[in-house]
Amino acid sequence: MKRIDIMRRAGRNLQQAKGRTFLTSLAIAVGAFTLTLSLAAGQGAREYADNLLKNNIDPQALFIVKDKAITSAGAGDGIREYTDDLSSTTAGSGASVAVKMLTKDDIAKLQARTDIKEVVPIYSLSSRYVAFQGIDKKYAVSLNYYDSSILSDVAAGSLPKLGEQISSNEILVPEDYLETLGVTAEQLVGKTVVVTVPQVTATPTQEDITNAFVSGGDKAVQELFAPKTKNFSFTVRAVLKKSAMAITSNPQLHVSTTAAGEMFDYASKGTENADKYLGATAIAKHDPAVTKTTLEKDHGYSVQTAKDAQGLLFTFVNILQGIVAGFATLALIASVFGIINTQYISVLERTSQIGLMKALGMRRRDIGKLFRYEAAWIGFLGGALGVGLALILGWLMNPWITKQLDLGGQTLLIFVWWQVAILILSLVVIAIIAGWLPARKAARLDPIEALRTE
Amino acid sequence: MIEVRAVTKTYGKKKNIFTALDDVSFTIPDGASVAIIGKSGSGKSTLMHVMSGLDRPESGEIMIDGENILTFKQKRVDVFRSEKMAFIFQSFFVQGNESCYNNVGLPLEIARVPMRHRKTRIEKALDAVGLLEKKKQRARDLSGGQKQRLAIARAIVNKPTILFADEPTGNLDSVTGASVEKLLFDYNKKNNTTLIVVTHDIDLAKRCDMQVYIKDGKVVRVLGGAQ
Repeated sequence: MKRIDIMRRAGRNLQQAKGRTFLTSLAIAVGAFTLTLSLAAGQGAREYADNLLKNNIDPQALFIVKDKAITSAGAGDGIREYTDDLSSTTAGSGASVAVKMLTKDDIAKLQARTDIKEVVPIYSLSSRYVAFQGIDKKYAVSLNYYDSSILSDVAAGSLPKLGEQISSNEILVPEDYLETLGVTAEQLVGKTVVVTVPQVTATPTQEDITNAFVSGGDKAVQELFAPKTKNFSFTVRAVLKKSAMAITSNPQLHVSTTAAGEMFDYASKGTENADKYLGATAIAKHDPAVTKTTLEKDHGYSVQTAKDAQGLLFTFVNILQGIVAGFATLALIASVFGIINTQYISVLERTSQIGLMKALGMRRRDIGKLFRYEAAWIGFLGGALGVGLALILGWLMNPWITKQLDLGGQTLLIFVWWQVAILILSLVVIAIIAGWLPARKAARLDPIEALRTE
Repeated sequence: MIEVRAVTKTYGKKKNIFTALDDVSFTIPDGASVAIIGKSGSGKSTLMHVMSGLDRPESGEIMIDGENILTFKQKRVDVFRSEKMAFIFQSFFVQGNESCYNNVGLPLEIARVPMRHRKTRIEKALDAVGLLEKKKQRARDLSGGQKQRLAIARAIVNKPTILFADEPTGNLDSVTGASVEKLLFDYNKKNNTTLIVVTHDIDLAKRCDMQVYIKDGKVVRVLGGAQ
């Protein structure tokens, strides 16, 4: 018998048992539906994460730290040997942990290298308060420095070309501040902003106090204990628009790296954190992965590339996707038994038909094929049904999900045609495997016995 | 010409051995109509199965046109059956869910007849049994006589040289039974097809050119034929 004839007969046999075929394939459809959605959601999440990183991290960017504990999970946990270069910093949990910091020497060494450029230490900036020109109140804000590798949208004003820093007397204000400040973006551009930076005072020694008293009397001693602050003055260059692609949802004031360095130096002067940095960012001139290896070998630093950061996010997405896919696979396994069961019943019901076909000279192999193709059809129908439902749901839900999760134009469920095709194809294969035993039973039926049943 | 030579078929082993066919021999000339007559359990159905290659006897030969089909491999027996033989059963064995057209098409599909030749042959066979106007109907909607006529159409569509009929009128009333008999004998005469009817109906057997009486697995009497 020709393959096409067997396939058509198999198709007709299924058509004639519509209810049973539908219910059996529905079981597969449940698994296919869940798998398709998990694939689509995983794809969407990865693309979203990818966009997020592309918009926030230069692919050539390197994140350099001296202490592996900073970039590895569980920093600050447990016990470690004390060395003099340990400094205390704050871990994510708020607990203070001791880690090795980069020193000014380290930065200088990095800046001297030819395979990287734009080495910028990570300054942790803090301000006591900020005053805006023309507004009486003082505000507490968070401060950061401008990353020239990211192109941002502006609500007013202008930004320098990509890769160029703003000048040291310029500042960028996020759009989110406008409401609180009660001004428009246009009004704010060109205004002066004064940032008051506190200096962490070291506790004066007895000698310091004596010296101060001798030179300036009571007043000098009081001054020694008074908290010191310094005002840094900037002009607003632009107002930044909020971006759905921004990693940090925390709106910050942005100053230039130069200004950030000055502010940090002032703030940490005289403390144990002076001239020490948690890490540094740099831009690799060539392959970041190669630079990473050399840096780690030459200096013993721990380096993260943009790809590493991406990998971290992807691992998270993959684990979530794996969990959903696991449940879908369970559903599929259950449906496999459904197929086996249905096909066994079908063989029993059609015993005389099988006997007749054998009497007419149909070969064992072809009878086995007939039942396997029926199973394949069930698998295909189930796959198509599940995938179809998932596509419809994705199409209906995507706008809503995007709105709810505030993804800013990014869709969460992304269907990739070849993934869907492979899914349906593998369901057909799974169905054929499930139909194997019943098909074998049919092929092995004794035609004489089979013709005796009515 | 079909020669059955010393065919012995047993079921079971040792103590429970049952001899279904015991040293059966006879010869059927081409184009003859033959009745194999016997009571139920006499071994007549087993004889039909052995002659068609569905069942394999312990010893003996089935010579069809000079070839012993018992020496064929399974594949060759299947091809032989699909090209040379056809069957009609007491309980019709038409596929109720399929249309009449597709019921008749089955032997052509099995014999790998090209698709373009099928339509005319199927319609011709359906026309020969008077069911052409029912070709789109499902077989389960037909009456008993119509089902057996459909089975005849299915049997003759691939122009067999040997047509086996196992109690073809057993499930039919006398009027429809007579019309089915007429179809079979007419076809036998017109196309020179060997017709082998397995029956216990003496009246039907008497219409055949040759009668093989079988009892307890043994041929007790052969009337007519090439002796």
